Amino acid sequence: MNPIIRRELLEVLRTRKALLLQVGLAVGCMLLVLVRWPTSAVSDLTGARSLEVLRVFGYGLLAGILLLVPAFPATTIVREKIKGTLALLFNSPLTPASIYLGKLGGVLGFTAVLLVMTLPAAAACYVLGGAGVRGGITLLYAVLGVAALQMCTLGLLVSCRSQSTDSALRFTYALVLGIAVLTLVPHALLRGSSDLWAQLADWLRCLSPVPAVMEILGHADVGAHGMIVAESVLPRYLIMALLFSLVCALSTIALFNHQLFDRSRPAGVMTEDLSTLGQAFRRLLFLVDPQRRSGSMSLWINPVMVKEFRTRRFGRSHWMLRLVAVCAILSLGLSYVAASGALGWTIEVIGGGLVLLQIALLILFAPSLAAGLVSSERESGSWQLLRMTPLSPGKILFGKLCSVAWPLVLLLCATLPGYIVMMTVKPELGYQVQRVVVCLALTAVFAVLLSAAASTFFRVTALATTASYLALLTLCVGTLLIWLGRGAPFGHATVAAVLTINPVAAALQAAEMPGFTQYELLPANWWIIGAACLVLLVFLRFRTWQLCRPE
Amino acid sequence: MAVVETRDLTKKYGSFVALDRLTLSVERGQILGFVGPNGAGKTTTIRILVGLARPTSGSARVAGADCVTEARKIKRLVGYMPDNFGSYDNMRVGEYLDFFGAAFGIPRRERVQRIGAVLDTARAGSFRDLFVETLSHGMKQRVAVARTLLHDPAVLILDEPANGLDPEARIEMRQLLLDLAERGKTLIVTSHILPELARICHRVAIITRGRLRSFGTLEEITRQLRPSRPMEIQLTSAAALERVLSLVRQTIGPDAEVSSSPAELVVRFRTTKRDEELTGLLTALVAADAGVAQFREVQTDLEEAFMTVARESG
Repeated sequence: MNPIIRRELLEVLRTRKALLLQVGLAVGCMLLVLVRWPTSAVSDLTGARSLEVLRVFGYGLLAGILLLVPAFPATTIVREKIKGTLALLFNSPLTPASIYLGKLGGVLGFTAVLLVMTLPAAAACYVLGGAGVRGGITLLYAVLGVAALQMCTLGLLVSCRSQSTDSALRFTYALVLGIAVLTLVPHALLRGSSDLWAQLADWLRCLSPVPAVMEILGHADVGAHGMIVAESVLPRYLIMALLFSLVCALSTIALFNHQLFDRSRPAGVMTEDLSTLGQAFRRLLFLVDPQRRSGSMSLWINPVMVKEFRTRRFGRSHWMLRLVAVCAILSLGLSYVAASGALGWTIEVIGGGLVLLQIALLILFAPSLAAGLVSSERESGSWQLLRMTPLSPGKILFGKLCSVAWPLVLLLCATLPGYIVMMTVKPELGYQVQRVVVCLALTAVFAVLLSAAASTFFRVTALATTASYLALLTLCVGTLLIWLGRGAPFGHATVAAVLTINPVAAALQAAEMPGFTQYELLPANWWIIGAACLVLLVFLRFRTWQLCRPE
Repeated sequence: MAVVETRDLTKKYGSFVALDRLTLSVERGQILGFVGPNGAGKTTTIRILVGLARPTSGSARVAGADCVTEARKIKRLVGYMPDNFGSYDNMRVGEYLDFFGAAFGIPRRERVQRIGAVLDTARAGSFRDLFVETLSHGMKQRVAVARTLLHDPAVLILDEPANGLDPEARIEMRQLLLDLAERGKTLIVTSHILPELARICHRVAIITRGRLRSFGTLEEITRQLRPSRPMEIQLTSAAALERVLSLVRQTIGPDAEVSSSPAELVVRFRTTKRDEELTGLLTALVAADAGVAQFREVQTDLEEAFMTVARESG
């Protein structure tokens, strides 16, 4: 047996979080089945109730695979690189391929353990009737297994190229989101057309496991509203996912050599030191040149905030400008679709799309910016240096929160022109847009405070980032699983109660997105999220004070 | 006048006593070598002095400010260099120092000058545009010294400054610390490289298991630890060895600790007698034509003193 598989598996299984994950998953699945377990003497021979459970169960498992699994491969190589143990592995007789397979095997082994924990619940679905073994449950597990392989190979590739665990996590989750969700967008936009672009978009969406799982669970396809589609997406998904995994694996193995460590130190060349021609060339390329010597900080500005911007790889001005430009283009693109009435979408659907775009940006960026605010300093040892400065805990916290708030405000503002266009098209949308903006602002504040609170709680940034993503995604996406089961197995009251705590659902309801209009979530959601923000702020202030005071 | 002063400083973590009634003082412009095995309480003492930890009892003062009640004042008076660098990613050395300068509220124009000056002092002027995380260990140590000096503190507390440095960098670091002391800075330096410390420290404190075992100049410490000093007589031939042994015993007493090494042609003994009292022995040896090549005191170094303390404290 490959010694790395054994070591990786033991390392993961010995941790408390692995035990918690296994127990949590088993209990969650058990509760899910328990909700729909027959209590009356009359049996449902059609198996419709069982299928309802299987659907929620299936989507829950897919969400689990997409959210939990990438965290392990994303950190496994980069952590060894930082600790210096990867060099020891390369110095052993193990070949790069066997090291890679060992790491992949370890992560897949743990995923298999997690999936096995859910088998009793799947068996219960089968016992309830309606869910076949070969066509339903086995196929679902096969697709989930392939999805796990896809995410693991992707995570390992990112981990191999990253220099820190938290950046590896950020990139991996961004790519997972891109592969699982964004690949569906071109197909949704070009549906009905039969040209080359539409065909390419049709194949592109097969990279995502979502359509395949929907097909198995009888939901046909994204946006198909349950209608049977002519061509099955399942075989194409299996081909695309396996090809994708192979490409990722081969790329990672190709990168697995001495060059990982054989890097010269950057010479620290500044634009000011270049020739006049060189300086002019860089001026053409950059609006804000990252290689230009930055000026001294003004005493009027919180130094912690400036420091945070400077220490972030994408915190420098040139990156912010690029991000804001992309967001503005996306937002205006969506509003163009709305204004031209393309594809027959209603303005509410476009509004919902805009809200989803903004929420996706918030969920992606808020934890990646805020989860390392304190934990990264504690991890690198710079926290005690910060404590040695005359800066008060309040000023440190304020600077850190401002450094996250500004980019998020810029991001949100960059997506606002879409609303302005929509309000010009349909002026009565004004009130609706105001409500959406309040929802988004509250979501942003909540996401930042939650991630910042996690960063004061964990010593390791990777853990804080994972915890923040999990908490946010559970709240914003996990509760939508209940919404997916609206009507059956969950009643209107249950769905409304669960959605009340979900800021995304509240924003979608404010945007009058079809499927959310029947729930009255506002202003109850504002009160709940507002109160949660207040509690988090108090907790954050207390923790910062606690971490700054003498031991 | 003492710049750094601790009195009965005690720190307990539950029932574990990390620091037990530590009393010491350091004068202005002096370098104190703080020596002890791992887990002896050095870092705990330092953390109390810089205001990062509170003592269970006792007091600590730096330049007249109380380390517990005047923690904010302490931050401006002390420059602390911990044993780990505490770097920030994606930040150049100049920006790194600029941030700490701004955090200490140094005005912009003065800060620019100060950064240049401290980088020159730490011989790190050429690193200014390099990214902090790409620096070698020795380069980081220099940048850390520059950061420590940035707000012009009266007291510098350096935890293992020579750790991981190559011989050349170590010599430069030693010279840098001596320069700083000459400029009137008070330094507390911990190190496990004892010969290095012995060459720069005005005073040494040896601490084990949270208790101060010995404190003073190196000479005073060796006196404290060994009241008798080791002496050596180097002979030119083995013929007079027995004669020399008996002469030594006659002069310094029959119970004296005297030994000989015929292979080395050396006679060794320990004595509490002063130099003036030993001139009689030397005269007798010369008169006896014993072939004395050298008559010398063997210097006790910091390592030996430390090992003695470590052995005694079990």
